[in-house]
Amino acid sequence: MADLNLAPIGSKGLGAWGEKYAADYLVGLGWMVVERNWRCSVGEADLVCLEPGPGELPTGVVVEVKCRSGSGFGDPLEAITYAKQRKLRQIAAVWRQVSGLGLSGLRVDAVGILKLPGVAPLVRHVRGVA
Amino acid sequence: MSTASAWSVALLGMEGTLIEVEAAIGGGLPRTVLVGLPDAALYEARDRCRAAVAGAGLSWPNQLLTINLTPASLPKAGSHYDLAIVSAVLAASGVVPHAIAASSVLVGELGLDGRVREVQGVLPALLAARDAGFEAAIVPARQVAEAELVAGLRVLGVSCLADLIEVLHGRPVLGGAYANEPPTVQPPDYAPDLADVRGQPDACWALEVAAAGGHHLFLHGAPGVGKSMLAERLPGLLPDLNNAEALEVSAIHSLVGRPLNGGLIRRPPYSNPHHNASMAAMVGGGARVARPGAISIAHRGVLFLDEVPEFSARVLDALRTPLETGKVTIARSASQVCYPARFQLVMAANPCPCGMLGVPGANCTCTPMSVRRYNERLSGPMLDRVDIHHRLLPSRLGLADAPAGESSKKVAERVRLARERQAERLMGTPWQLNGEIPGAELRRLPRARGMSLLDDAVRSGRLSARGVDKVLRLAWTLADLDGKDRITRVQLASALGLRHDGWRCAA
Repeated sequence: MADLNLAPIGSKGLGAWGEKYAADYLVGLGWMVVERNWRCSVGEADLVCLEPGPGELPTGVVVEVKCRSGSGFGDPLEAITYAKQRKLRQIAAVWRQVSGLGLSGLRVDAVGILKLPGVAPLVRHVRGVA
Repeated sequence: MSTASAWSVALLGMEGTLIEVEAAIGGGLPRTVLVGLPDAALYEARDRCRAAVAGAGLSWPNQLLTINLTPASLPKAGSHYDLAIVSAVLAASGVVPHAIAASSVLVGELGLDGRVREVQGVLPALLAARDAGFEAAIVPARQVAEAELVAGLRVLGVSCLADLIEVLHGRPVLGGAYANEPPTVQPPDYAPDLADVRGQPDACWALEVAAAGGHHLFLHGAPGVGKSMLAERLPGLLPDLNNAEALEVSAIHSLVGRPLNGGLIRRPPYSNPHHNASMAAMVGGGARVARPGAISIAHRGVLFLDEVPEFSARVLDALRTPLETGKVTIARSASQVCYPARFQLVMAANPCPCGMLGVPGANCTCTPMSVRRYNERLSGPMLDRVDIHHRLLPSRLGLADAPAGESSKKVAERVRLARERQAERLMGTPWQLNGEIPGAELRRLPRARGMSLLDDAVRSGRLSARGVDKVLRLAWTLADLDGKDRITRVQLASALGLRHDGWRCAA
């Protein structure tokens, strides 16, 4: 578990902390994290996971993590624009080809984390955003 | 996924359609979509409502929010849906209970700070809501007085978003207190009096006949003889509007955004568009949904066209159909609307461009051709629809010696009595005034004595068959003013005189 009380200051550190926190959260759901910061020519995926089911084969999920330390610029998930969604879709397709894993499906999810000082982080997980 | 709904009204002309505003929260990235054929002003409601909710210290749903306006196929316009949208959203996100939002009609625009602003057309919108069976309405606090004109509807006024939330919880607010505010400063009903018109007894009489029978009137004469002065005094001679008429007139005035704080409009309205008026300004118009024009604002009142030859020919000819039917239908790609336009037309013109033609002792400097062109600007069919043509001559007595005319009050009383006689005679027909009776109906009334006078006029070509009907209509009004039940030769002779078309003869 990422230490709650050690949430770093500064946007880069916060982003990395958020991705780690999100990974822990997904593992808690029973998922398997197979890649972190996976890069290809199209761009970078924060997390790539395997969600068990629905059949024998798992579902591949590319996860975009957005972390904010305040809501002054809106909800974390609002930062995912149409252009970003398109890019995530392309990254997911590339990853599927490169990995060569047997999958029952492919999906893009978003996890928004709001970490206000002195309060437990607020996680919102939206499935199938792109 | 949670949903909620609230109600508002879409106005298409005077017709209101109830609109259900649905809000659904959940199932996607935070985003707000507004569907159901909104126009630009309505689409912006999305951002306006969001800012207003934030301004009130509440949070906008941070999930996918879909707002739907049903029936989704009807085009919707305007900014008055804001209150319904916010209510549906707040109910869907659990801030307020669903019940009151789902059973009331909400009309009002929101400011970015959460203030509730006034909107146009509250009266016709709430009339539609009441007819659809709604019992409660929520309106901007300043328009409570206007909303309360609709009998049988419980009206709640809100002045800001905080008020709205209280009202949706079923708690009382102070918003209604605005209703008891004295209406915005209105000058004491300044009605010019007929006694101010000096040295024009015939013209005053022509005006009285026009008022009594609802006849259209054409005044022509040199500049400064008092044409405009007379026209302004016509509404003062007309009786108050009855309840149904007052409601119609008030609804139109509400639609064009005139405040109705003083209650229903009881006096006949007066509209005097300038002669550069466009087609849309005169008969109504606009891009997607047509708005009422000057003729509808003059509904059940007086439309005065000063310097009528200066109006564009197209605009004048557009008046011909409404003059016959009492309403105007405007078709646009998105919709077709119908506004009532039963007005009394008063036109005024000079005899020629310089204005001095035929004035004793004055010299006209116009060429015959320019006089003729000036005359031709008024089309024959238009003049034919006007019952009374009156030529004003400068007073022969000095103005100082001319006796003061009768006061408007005395004349209005005679007009009222004459109208009562007409109402009695026309009982059981859709018409109320002599000026409205169609020719066929006219011949069913008791036959006039001394019709040979008219027959002679027809035979000598001074009067057309349609002209006979017009003279008979005028003669009935004259008989009503005299308190007679039949037309005699006296009334026919006077009526012929009132119809005399001096305008063309001048050319």
